[in-house]
Amino acid sequence: MAMMVDETIPDFDYYGSLSTTTTTTTATTTTSSSENDHDHGCTWNDWSPVLDWGAFSGGDNFQDLIESMIQGHNSTGGVNVNFHPSVNYFWKSISSEDSAGLIEEDYLEDSNNNQSADINGLKLVHLLMAAAEALSGVNKSRELARVILVRLKELASPNGATNMERLAAHFTDALQALLDGAASGTLHAKHMFSPNYKDEQHQGDVLAAFQLLQDMSPFVKFGHFTANQAILESVAHDRRVHIVDYDIMEGIQWASLMQAFVSRKDGPPTPHLRITALSRSGSGRRSFGTVQETGRRLTAFAASIGQPFSFHHCRLDSDETFKPTNLKLVRGEALIINCMLHLPHFSYRASDSVASFLSGSKNLNPRLVTLVEEEIRPIGEEEGFVGRFMDTLHHYSALYDSLEAGFPLQSRARTLVERVFLRPHITGSLARIYRVREEDERYSWGEWLGAVGFCKSNISFANHCQAKLLLGLFNDGYRVEEIGTNKLVLGWKSRRLFSASIWNTTDTDL
Amino acid sequence: MFHAKKPSTMNSHDRPMCVQGDSGLVLTTDPKPRLRWTVELHERFVDAVTQLGGPDKATPKTIMRVMGVKGLTLYHLKSHLQKFRLGKQPHKEFNDHSVKDGDRVTAATSLELQRNSASSSGMIGRNMNEMQMEVQRRLHEQLEVQRHLQLRIEAQGKYMQTILEKACQTLGGEENMALPARTFKGIGNQGGLIPDISAAFKEFGTPPLSFSSFQDLNICGGHDQQLELHAQSSMGERSSSFDGFMNLGNTTDHNLTLGKKRPSPYSSNGGNSNGKSPFMWSDDFRLQELGVATAAALGPNNEDDHQIIQMERSCNPELDSVSDLYESKPILQEEKKCDAKLERPSPRRAAQISSLSAQGGRSSVFGELLSWQDGKVTDGGERPE
Repeated sequence: MAMMVDETIPDFDYYGSLSTTTTTTTATTTTSSSENDHDHGCTWNDWSPVLDWGAFSGGDNFQDLIESMIQGHNSTGGVNVNFHPSVNYFWKSISSEDSAGLIEEDYLEDSNNNQSADINGLKLVHLLMAAAEALSGVNKSRELARVILVRLKELASPNGATNMERLAAHFTDALQALLDGAASGTLHAKHMFSPNYKDEQHQGDVLAAFQLLQDMSPFVKFGHFTANQAILESVAHDRRVHIVDYDIMEGIQWASLMQAFVSRKDGPPTPHLRITALSRSGSGRRSFGTVQETGRRLTAFAASIGQPFSFHHCRLDSDETFKPTNLKLVRGEALIINCMLHLPHFSYRASDSVASFLSGSKNLNPRLVTLVEEEIRPIGEEEGFVGRFMDTLHHYSALYDSLEAGFPLQSRARTLVERVFLRPHITGSLARIYRVREEDERYSWGEWLGAVGFCKSNISFANHCQAKLLLGLFNDGYRVEEIGTNKLVLGWKSRRLFSASIWNTTDTDL
Repeated sequence: MFHAKKPSTMNSHDRPMCVQGDSGLVLTTDPKPRLRWTVELHERFVDAVTQLGGPDKATPKTIMRVMGVKGLTLYHLKSHLQKFRLGKQPHKEFNDHSVKDGDRVTAATSLELQRNSASSSGMIGRNMNEMQMEVQRRLHEQLEVQRHLQLRIEAQGKYMQTILEKACQTLGGEENMALPARTFKGIGNQGGLIPDISAAFKEFGTPPLSFSSFQDLNICGGHDQQLELHAQSSMGERSSSFDGFMNLGNTTDHNLTLGKKRPSPYSSNGGNSNGKSPFMWSDDFRLQELGVATAAALGPNNEDDHQIIQMERSCNPELDSVSDLYESKPILQEEKKCDAKLERPSPRRAAQISSLSAQGGRSSVFGELLSWQDGKVTDGGERPE
């Protein structure tokens, strides 16, 4: 097959070390037995003895590597594994069962099956990374990317048995979309947001997946409960509370807040709660119904538990700029700004819209701003698209793994959640990182809030405690960290996933 | 592993005796000597780690070299570094423990709090009483948080239930209006999706966290009958999905083991350990869910079954009645309440379920359910309004 591989291969920096272990396993997979010559069963130990780098030299082996991966067997006798630092970081973090692979012997003693699965997984990662490289940077080559994607599609299916396979399938499709978009020159804004598979999906699917997501993972509850606890503490003595919710979705966050208000013991009895939800004109039908429906539901729920409540909604223009004057404000009420972003069941919102909302709300002098977003790892410029790609891969692989760890037997349920929620997110993420120029910084909204002039507000002991207790209800492996006094970060093993932070506009903590 | 926060010379509480070896390390005098991570040793460890650039960059070998403490082995460092990385604190996070029983969690966290408060802000020199008070206060606060958390989760579950019911009704309503032409085969590109959602729920036969009543759906009334029933209709799989997620919305709140003594069937790894008690109490709720779905689909013109009418009454779309069922009281009280509502003792209810499911999918509740579900398969265009 014709492959156009440029001879100018970028230099790879080695960072981890590989120990060359020869695996004497008999191949139980469909790959040919010559695969066993690879030392893919490697222990990614930092502290193994310095190895002979001579064996790993040779950038000109890249073509052989690609060929071998594509043809499914090793054409050369030796091992040529020039790993981009992102791959090292990525593989190291996900290849070991326990945290960061500190206990060394497990990997070598894995069963044959595990090793084959890992071999295949590693192969998929290599191919994905190669495809990402082929789509960007100095060696951009659409033909090569196309070829690699074809191979990937053969190897990975969205209903595959292993996490890595399904993850690779979704990433492959996302890359394919990039390739097609780039080819036709129409990589426009539409691709930057999830192509709204969710809207096209059956409502029953979305609801079922949402229920499953909540039961299988702590992400949704973590975000909601942390924000709610902060709100409760800040309005402990108020009689009227007004919450402006950026993206109310189905409104479930407020159910538990209302319950907490109703059973409030100290301070004035149940405060009057007013919620203003923002709605967008152009967002199309969503599976959770319109904002008005959410309002009706919340009103009915509030009535059923005895919470004084009123609901308003504020329409945004098509450009989604937030105009604070459109809000109806009442004197004497405590104003709270609630901004949930990036949770798995959310649709992506353009950063202009979010920025407009947050900066507009600063003028309103709110009592508290609660922000939940995904936690990203800052990527240096030099790593470029591939670096960001690998980081995204790492992020979603942690998500998939966390679901699997809790529910190893329920693969269909997980597949449903992955397909309904995570897949559109992946597609959207890749489109955005592909489009962004490399000199653009990746910043979090928390940093942005700090830069715009919001002050941090302390996370209380009770809040942190609640988060830990919540995690205790789920399988091991999740952890919560308190970072910088105003932020709780939920992570899976060593990967940080979501953060919940609280801010206000004055220095004193009310 | 309980870390001593006092110098080894002060052994005022009943911990195993420690000896300080020549190397300066503190070891216990158990038959198997274990290393004690004293404050000083830990501080040296932290210094070494920061010197090396943080816990992610440091490795046991380099730490060992930098610390230069004799007698410290790689194994000691490996496990300590692992803990350090996980918690970045001198004590282990308690959610790493695999116990999920509320009492044990409380005990573990009380230990943690004790360690926490003992180590933080240099309380070592302070009065024991003060420390104890602090610990008590924190413990009390934590229990409060625990209680509130449970109530909040229940509230979310209730709310989720309203969403699911609404969706169920809306879709049921649409179906009644009309889609004779829609058959399973007419699904088109949805064909691939059906098995997904239904299979997804069928999978939760051994519920890890909150799907016990779905399992009951399979188990009670005769496991085989149920499955056969579903298999009969070409849409069999689809129906179970709705029952499935109706049940899910329902039971989320009831399956918390926060502080409740219950033979917990929900091991953290989703294992197959279904105890008896969830079977029994979730019985009630499953019926209600069936009732909801039934009411939505059929209207009141079903078999003259007291059970079903009761269900319909109790599960009408008005939220008041639904939320009545879900007061934030302990589970046992809710059971009793539902017993009263349904006016049947438990064994008979079980028999009812059997009879319902045994009716073979023709004119029974389940049969209707299935036919309702039949046309439910739509393209993505339908939305509740």
